[in-house]
Amino acid sequence: MLKRISKTSFINLRSICLSASHRQQQLEQENAPKKLREEVLLHPDYFKVHNLFTVKDLFDARVHFGHRDGSLDERMLPYIYGSRLGHIIFDLDKTAEYLRKALNVTAHIAYRDGVIIFFQRGAQNAYLVEKTAKECGEFAHTRFWRGGIFTNATKQFGCVTRLPDLCIFFNTLNNVLIQHTAVRDAAKMLIATIGIVDSNCNPNLITYPVPGNDDSPASMELYCKLFKAAIFRGKEKRKEHIEQNIYLV
Amino acid sequence: MAGSRLEKIGTIYTRTSGLIRSGAINWEDRPLWYDIYEASPPKEEPRFDRPAPNMKLKNIFYAEDQFRAMFHRNNKHLGTSNMFNNYYKSVSQKFIEIYQSLEKENAENSNQEQLYKEAIEVLRRDKDIKKETEQEEPLSLSSAFKEAKSNQIKEMPKVDVTNIFKD
Repeated sequence: MLKRISKTSFINLRSICLSASHRQQQLEQENAPKKLREEVLLHPDYFKVHNLFTVKDLFDARVHFGHRDGSLDERMLPYIYGSRLGHIIFDLDKTAEYLRKALNVTAHIAYRDGVIIFFQRGAQNAYLVEKTAKECGEFAHTRFWRGGIFTNATKQFGCVTRLPDLCIFFNTLNNVLIQHTAVRDAAKMLIATIGIVDSNCNPNLITYPVPGNDDSPASMELYCKLFKAAIFRGKEKRKEHIEQNIYLV
Repeated sequence: MAGSRLEKIGTIYTRTSGLIRSGAINWEDRPLWYDIYEASPPKEEPRFDRPAPNMKLKNIFYAEDQFRAMFHRNNKHLGTSNMFNNYYKSVSQKFIEIYQSLEKENAENSNQEQLYKEAIEVLRRDKDIKKETEQEEPLSLSSAFKEAKSNQIKEMPKVDVTNIFKD
């Protein structure tokens, strides 16, 4: 609030003092970041996340394997290719489309200096996710979710808390196979979410769902690698634009 | 900051837009993802009450499943195969290739049982031929090394060392 007032009053002062020709120049200068902002935001793939992976990479990482068809969540049907002898197989063309969108959003959030948090339940892949978060300079939560970390943060931490701007769920279920409470809490607190949804998950509350296998270590490694790369691309661009003094979001 | 905790109503975008429109949140204080969501919205709205689509789960079957099943029913001693190894074809993959080529050759009078027997015969013959060649030239480390060495010499570009620095 303070910042905003000082900035506007400064501009007013300047516009009163400067002559018309100067004002023209100033307008141009002010329009430049706006133009860049639109260029970054409205570009379909500014950070070029489409070249991070191919459908073959997804196949090699066993992303197409779902659970048995008995545990299928009906809401996952549009993302599924079919059932091969009782095992769900994902349509990797669709997975690739959704994953590219999710990576693009991740890069944009990182570009705007957002706080990103990774979620993962299950001991097998927890260390990998925590390590990835550390390498990106972001956060991870892979343990039991005590209710109220988002919804009652002010009381729990004793002061007003900045909540994350993007939650990435590598696994939207908790370890008793019901939906992770943080999915609901993020929706309550108006936080955007990205989630890898397997064939037994509910994709409805996830803002950017990515249908795919969430159990195999191979696919988990691929997801970690991709999200890390997307975050790095966003952060690098931010650094570059700050150095050139053209960053203004 | 004002918020709307009714996650079962609308989406995070519609709820945030409502708060901005009513003046509960300033436009400058909007969440970080708001512009990004507007620029690239998700394919389906993330509503809690989005109904499951009326679709049927289809079964994946291939034409060759019929004689693959026959092959495995009659040969239960095939043993294990490594599914991560894409360099070598498994026995049943070889069998299916032979069967399909035979089916293409005599398309008019293709009897499934006859084709199956023929394919098995071809597979067995291939195996015997491979065994014989292996017996004739037993693969030893020294012979493999020799072969690799000769190949390397063949592939090396001919460079005249004495004339390297001329011209």
